[in-house]
Amino acid sequence: MRAYLKHPFWQAALLLVLAYIVIVFIIPLLPGSAVVPKSVVLQYMATVLVGILIWVSDEEERWTKFKEPLHDVLIQPRLKVVRTALLAAVTLIVGCFTYSQVRAGVAAPPNLRSIHPAPPSQITFRGKTIALVGLDNPLRRTGDMAAHLAVGRRVYYQNCVPCHGDHLDGQGHFAAGLNPLPANFQDNGTIAQLTESFVFWRIAKGGPGLPREGTPWNSAMPAWEDFLTEEEIWSVVLFLYDQTGWKPRTWEVSAEGSK
Amino acid sequence: MWATNLRIIGVVLGTLALYTLIANKIPQVQSDVPRALTLGANVTPEQLVSAGDQLYHGAGGCTACHGLGTRAPNLLTDEKGQGPIGARCGKREAGKDCKAYLHESLASPRAYVVAGYEPIMPEMGRILSPQQLWALVAFLESNGGTVDVSASDIPSSTTSTTSTSSTPSAGISGGSTDPMAIIRGAGCTGCHKINGEGGAIGPELTHVGSRLSANLIRESILTPDAKIAKGFEKFKGIMPKTFGNQLTAAQLEALVQFLVSHK
Amino acid sequence: MVDALHLLQAAADTTGAYRDFPWIGSRAAVWIAAEIHLMFAAFVLGVPIFAVVAEAIGIFGKDQRYDRLSKEFTRLLLIAYSATALWGATLTFLLATLYPKFFAYLLSIFAPSVWVYGAIFFFESFTLYLYYYGWDRWKYGRAKIVHWCLGILLNIWGTTVMFIADSWLTYMMTPPRDITPETSPANIKIWHAILNHTWMPINIHRLIGNVVFGGAIVGAYASYRFLASRTDEERAHYDWMGYVGNFIAMSALIVLPFAGYWLGREIYQYDQSLGITMMGGFMSWLWVIQAFLIAVLFLAGNYYLWVGMGRIPGAERYRPYTKWLLVVLVLGALVWGTPHTMIADSRELAAMGGSHHPLLGALGVMSAKNTAVNLMILATFLSFLLYRRANIRQVVPWAKTGTRIQAAMFVIAAAIVLFFGIRGYFVEAIVRIGYSVYQVGAVLACIVFVTLIDVLMARGAQSLGAIQWGKMPPRSQYALFILAVTFTWLMGLMGFARSGIRQHWHVYGVLQDMTPYAATPALGYAAIMISTCVLIFLSLVGFIFWLGGLAEKSTFVPSTVEAPHVGH
Repeated sequence: MRAYLKHPFWQAALLLVLAYIVIVFIIPLLPGSAVVPKSVVLQYMATVLVGILIWVSDEEERWTKFKEPLHDVLIQPRLKVVRTALLAAVTLIVGCFTYSQVRAGVAAPPNLRSIHPAPPSQITFRGKTIALVGLDNPLRRTGDMAAHLAVGRRVYYQNCVPCHGDHLDGQGHFAAGLNPLPANFQDNGTIAQLTESFVFWRIAKGGPGLPREGTPWNSAMPAWEDFLTEEEIWSVVLFLYDQTGWKPRTWEVSAEGSK
Repeated sequence: MWATNLRIIGVVLGTLALYTLIANKIPQVQSDVPRALTLGANVTPEQLVSAGDQLYHGAGGCTACHGLGTRAPNLLTDEKGQGPIGARCGKREAGKDCKAYLHESLASPRAYVVAGYEPIMPEMGRILSPQQLWALVAFLESNGGTVDVSASDIPSSTTSTTSTSSTPSAGISGGSTDPMAIIRGAGCTGCHKINGEGGAIGPELTHVGSRLSANLIRESILTPDAKIAKGFEKFKGIMPKTFGNQLTAAQLEALVQFLVSHK
Repeated sequence: MVDALHLLQAAADTTGAYRDFPWIGSRAAVWIAAEIHLMFAAFVLGVPIFAVVAEAIGIFGKDQRYDRLSKEFTRLLLIAYSATALWGATLTFLLATLYPKFFAYLLSIFAPSVWVYGAIFFFESFTLYLYYYGWDRWKYGRAKIVHWCLGILLNIWGTTVMFIADSWLTYMMTPPRDITPETSPANIKIWHAILNHTWMPINIHRLIGNVVFGGAIVGAYASYRFLASRTDEERAHYDWMGYVGNFIAMSALIVLPFAGYWLGREIYQYDQSLGITMMGGFMSWLWVIQAFLIAVLFLAGNYYLWVGMGRIPGAERYRPYTKWLLVVLVLGALVWGTPHTMIADSRELAAMGGSHHPLLGALGVMSAKNTAVNLMILATFLSFLLYRRANIRQVVPWAKTGTRIQAAMFVIAAAIVLFFGIRGYFVEAIVRIGYSVYQVGAVLACIVFVTLIDVLMARGAQSLGAIQWGKMPPRSQYALFILAVTFTWLMGLMGFARSGIRQHWHVYGVLQDMTPYAATPALGYAAIMISTCVLIFLSLVGFIFWLGGLAEKSTFVPSTVEAPHVGH
């Protein structure tokens, strides 16, 4: 047993199995974690495999030793049973894999949906053209902040709360029925990464306004420009940032002063 | 030597194949040319027609009524011996050429309703952009007529000249409690007739107060499918269930009271 | 009304604006011609840079090996140079016939620069001929210095040619803001068009990229000759050449991301939607592939070094450490390759609550990736350092302290990288972007100071035996091949990214692509195109290598100078 543990081939095999166990079983058990998608498991395992192959072959001695069992299995007469079993197993695995690849399934194919697609440089809001590039929330400069926030709060609770939830975490009552799920504003990957003009664009144009890369499973978000005024949308944007504590991404001040 | 060469070729081809495979394994997204942009500054009539074609059969939702049964005139095929729309559009309304007529029937469909049909068509300016409207006009003209829509007809996006397609829902979101403004703004008249105005997909509302109580009216607005009026069973599910979100409480009450008073 | 007429005219004009190429279509034709031209050009521009450096080492370090190396590079250049010109001409003809209107538009702005380009091309060719054929004539004394200056001149011509060509393509990508579709090309001042947002960043990015690429191709050449060689002497020479090529490629690669970062920043500043298309939008998956390729580069480069330690007496002292470097590199590659938006089926999506993994998603953002790649750079540098020190024992009295200081520097740099990496999660985006500068600064400072200390410490060091050049297992040479293929492929991919972000525009926001090929293809299609280009390029390069071998067989003189014991 100890001899096996010291042998590079079995060490490599053990490492591979350990890595698989960690990725597939341990990571989902960690607090706040979830199952790792198959595509990512494959990617991780491939990386680990390459690493292991590098390790076994970067020194002549280890490499020779590593190849020994492989070599033995292929030519040693005493290992005939193992050799036959291995050949059968490989054939079987390839067969199963091929079957699993070509089998017709009911699940929707995995898709690649860009969560934050590129915004247009300008949009038409109720017939008025708004340039998004360099645009900041106009309400931050004018009027009473508390009043704006109050409007934003009212708008949010009248319109957004069913999906985006009381905690702005995307866990509204309707959330479970939607695909894609409503955005979680508390997450550091949503509004925290975006400029206010981007958020304005998404609210104003909603799911129907998503570009091609935002599909499939078009978002159920309505195009709020039909129901809210420009100022109401800006207020609710203010409210989102105020309530979550995130700061909107700011524009870089360019030399040309494109701002 | 040849073994080495083959091995080198094998390594190179294998690496290339691996990279190609990985890139092909992920879901493929092609960045298409945005439709709206093809109607930009130097658009050709052919492009307009093809854009209109796609709108007609797609996002415009035209085929829901046109070409199916008797709800609306056939456009692409013969209509009562007058030929397809491109051939007859110039003779519909006195003083309006084909282009003007088609644009009007898209932007304000109720301005002229072909005899024998109900005024049920929504104002397309609410759904489509001015450019898209013109693309549709071009497409319709191309069916039996000649396309005379050109780039000069299309308002550039910076100067919105769509006088006909005002923002109809402004009545709702502005918080107005004028009942008729709400009724028009929320698009009720698209289906319901009230005081002689509106369509016939839903029950007429002119005397609704004599049939329903305030509570039932309120219920019908908020959860339209809870009770279906007799004779309208097949239209179940058509009325949007979103009015509860769109109207403020004050608007809803104003609307309900207004309808109750219509005895 | 005038406007409308103008538009109508423009609409009518589009009918004659394009021609189609049989079978593969005009986009693919131009794609292949441009990409292969670019690959040859990168080779032809990158190789002279270190031919000149190698010659200088040969002159001032009095090491004949480097002179021979430099000459060998230059011979490869001669043939590659004509291939570059051939493909360049093909590209020009294709553009002129398939996209005549667009080509005329570009010419009407850039006409004078095309003339200058042609003239400099002439100068460059003749300088190259003079440089190569004068090699043996001007071999000694002052004449050698003059010869070396010819090499520098060659580089100046080459760089100028590249800068001119860059101005055309950067104009297509980021035309100055005041140019609109209505601007008549005749009224655009040429300097105004040249000095656009991305011109300089692309110049610098390509300059460094060319060095990397040249190094990788030279490495592949050396490994090919190594595998084909029959004598130990030849094997030793090409083993060493492969090492030098790999060393140059890897060290230039370390600076390349900073140039790329500058370019990306300029693109964002020019137009946010260009930037988001590139990084977050439809091209976001391209970067996962790129991450994969970069991980391959790091792993293959380090692997080559570690295998190479087998031929260095004394390297066994450092063996136990390379294992942990590998662990750092693999962990780095795992983080580096973790996608932010994961491919998942509906069941997995539901379990994750969206396409961001609740835990691993944190590894998919910029902070984690910057941290990972900086640590990988540090690990690679440490590999080089161990390799360098493998066969010497320092004799300076402060050797132990020096090593401790070096170790402390590594720890501090790694700590700075980690600190800002973790802190990046808690600050807003604009601050976080600034953090990457600190991380990079720490790594670069570490590299500079540690190298400095190491050079000082190696003074008069005692040798544990000469490097046994040529005692290299063949699998290390295949690693060099993988490096070369990966570099070439990566170049094709990045070219697709740069060109693809224009999307359906010939000149972004000014001149629209009206062909049926206006849509930007998906990654899979692009990958097939890139692989095709790489394959054509490598076949041609293989042919050139073979030619080089033909010419050389008669002139190969075994090295007479004893190889010094330290690689660099």
